[in-house]
Amino acid sequence: MKKVLSFLLISVLMLAACSSGSDTESTSGESKDTNQITVWAWDPNFNIKAFNIAKETYQAENPDLEIKIVENGQKDIVQKLNTTLSSGTTKGLPNIVLIEDYRAQGFLQAYPDMFHKLSDTIDADAFASYKMAPTSVDGENYGLPFDTGVTGLYFRTDYLEEAGYSVEDMQNITWDEYIEIGKKVKEATGKNMLTQDPKEPSLLRVMIQTVGSWYVKEDGKTPNIEGNEALKEAFETYKAMLEADIVKPVSDWSQFVGAFNSGEVATVPTGNWITPSVKAEESQAGKWAVAPIPRQSSKESVNASNLGGSSIYVLNIDGKEQAVDFLAKTFGSNVDFYEKLNKEMGAIGTYIPAAESEAYKAEDEFFGGQQVTADFAAWMEQIPQVNYGLHTYAIEDILAVEMQNYLKGKDLDQVLKDAQQQAEAQIK
Amino acid sequence: MSKFNKIFVYSVLIIASLVSVFPFLWMIVSATNKSSDVTQGRLLPGSHLFENVTNLLNTVELVPALMNSAKISIATTILAMLIASLAGYGFEIFQSRGKDIVFNILLLSMMIPFAALMVPLFRMFGDISGVLPMIGIDTLTAAVLPTVTTAFLIFFFRQNTKMFPKEILEAGRMDGLGELGIFFKIYVPTMKTTYAAAAIITFMASWNNYLWPLVVLQSPEKQTIPLLISNLGSSYSPDFGMIMTAIVIATLPTALIFFLMQKHFVAGMMGSVK
Repeated sequence: MKKVLSFLLISVLMLAACSSGSDTESTSGESKDTNQITVWAWDPNFNIKAFNIAKETYQAENPDLEIKIVENGQKDIVQKLNTTLSSGTTKGLPNIVLIEDYRAQGFLQAYPDMFHKLSDTIDADAFASYKMAPTSVDGENYGLPFDTGVTGLYFRTDYLEEAGYSVEDMQNITWDEYIEIGKKVKEATGKNMLTQDPKEPSLLRVMIQTVGSWYVKEDGKTPNIEGNEALKEAFETYKAMLEADIVKPVSDWSQFVGAFNSGEVATVPTGNWITPSVKAEESQAGKWAVAPIPRQSSKESVNASNLGGSSIYVLNIDGKEQAVDFLAKTFGSNVDFYEKLNKEMGAIGTYIPAAESEAYKAEDEFFGGQQVTADFAAWMEQIPQVNYGLHTYAIEDILAVEMQNYLKGKDLDQVLKDAQQQAEAQIK
Repeated sequence: MSKFNKIFVYSVLIIASLVSVFPFLWMIVSATNKSSDVTQGRLLPGSHLFENVTNLLNTVELVPALMNSAKISIATTILAMLIASLAGYGFEIFQSRGKDIVFNILLLSMMIPFAALMVPLFRMFGDISGVLPMIGIDTLTAAVLPTVTTAFLIFFFRQNTKMFPKEILEAGRMDGLGELGIFFKIYVPTMKTTYAAAAIITFMASWNNYLWPLVVLQSPEKQTIPLLISNLGSSYSPDFGMIMTAIVIATLPTALIFFLMQKHFVAGMMGSVK
């Protein structure tokens, strides 16, 4: 009997040890005193850092509000939000959460009452216009636009020079010109022009946004694949790149980063958030420059696009007033704050007045003295606005498969028609 | 076995072990390299281990996360051993009419994926939080309770109990032992190897458990190791050297426990009573 007792005793003790400490704190979100707000965001070097700077800025004048910044991976946040919101409890919800723009409409439309309107809090005209569609529902704004995924064409000036191209030659080109340059670069240096991951053809997204087109129509729900001229051209460009043999295939993020860190590719056409990864290879300082992203052949296409980026949302639970006040005085209006963000971490927000600040005009020696931030900020304002809708990733998975069929020789119109049918069947 | 056969068998085994050992080697080697070397696939040990460890300790709360994982895993393992073995023993030794129906329903529950249970479970813990906050959402207890035993473990104990000599039980009863006494004094010591195997399985599953702790634990002080690693990997410019170091540290406890109990584990999987 002694053994039984000791066994039970141990179990009880273990459970007690587990729960110790938890009763002293109030659960986040449901805090009884609204002197504390909780923030969920991802990436310690980027978003978390930005929120910490915001916290410092805010607390200098409002020391009473306690701001708890919790780090969770992006996919983890999606999982946690979905579970909590669909279970109908508000236990454990944060007051402020960061959501990627491509996913925002999904949350806003599925749980319309759970998010707090910010239309009266922020001046929507002060932010890059392309950020408005993903953060709004029925003309009401729910998200505070934060970082931009404005794209650029990062390129190795030394490789391009070897192939006979100057920095000027890379400005405002089309994708067709890009492929021609790529062939010459391969001839002269033996280096591939870019990497691509066949599982994630996100470059398609970048290409079609330059004409203001998307995988879905303006309602955010109807697939816009068959008869989408921009997407058709993007498919053709993608195939032409592979046929020109200027693409190095990669299978994950680390290979993608590794390819340009090791000097295996001449260009990286992607969002500005890649800058820290490019600069991580210090031995390549002075050998890089950034040009506007190539455009498509149609007249509407501009040399500006977007890849990624996220916005800040306030949940409709106790503490929302405090959360709104915190955001309004930092991310919502504070130029000094954005200047600090840029100085300390190279972040580019979508708050337009910040572009006038001195920090944005700094010359970056890594990029041969180019005013990289100012350039990105200028391109950001030209990004065509599209409604990302609800199904960006679901449709892209379908396109990735159909792309392989197209590369194997299937007729392009048929490819797009089939993709359209699959998308319609899947997202109904 | 002919010579040719031997060569064939050995070469297959060597290739198979290389394939399974390589990821471990790569993980350990990468923990000593800096991020850009990892992305370029460097296979030689580097000199950045110390730097990676320092970065890791400066970036995240590693020790508290290890403690949380340890508390959850040890509590889960002890409770699971107690409950699952009692259940498995009961199902096999005692006779009752509805026994097999109950057992079959239990086995069927193995087919429901956890993802389907998660939302109702979360809701349940949300409601519990109102009454008993010490076992509600955002407590380590809440991370333990839904995993204290699994249908598989009960099944595992029942299967192994089938080989347990029932005569000993009779002998125990005749000598005046109560049923609990028989269980703890005769059954438990005899089934040591089964317990060892089950404990390893449970501990590993609990140590690596991701989904439920992810949704139920909210504050950073309660983070477990898999959650911490997931955060490290989700940055726009991840430091792969540091992540690999974290993974090595996270793997050590399970590896250690496995090696310590390896002999029992193999015996337990083969059936414990000889």
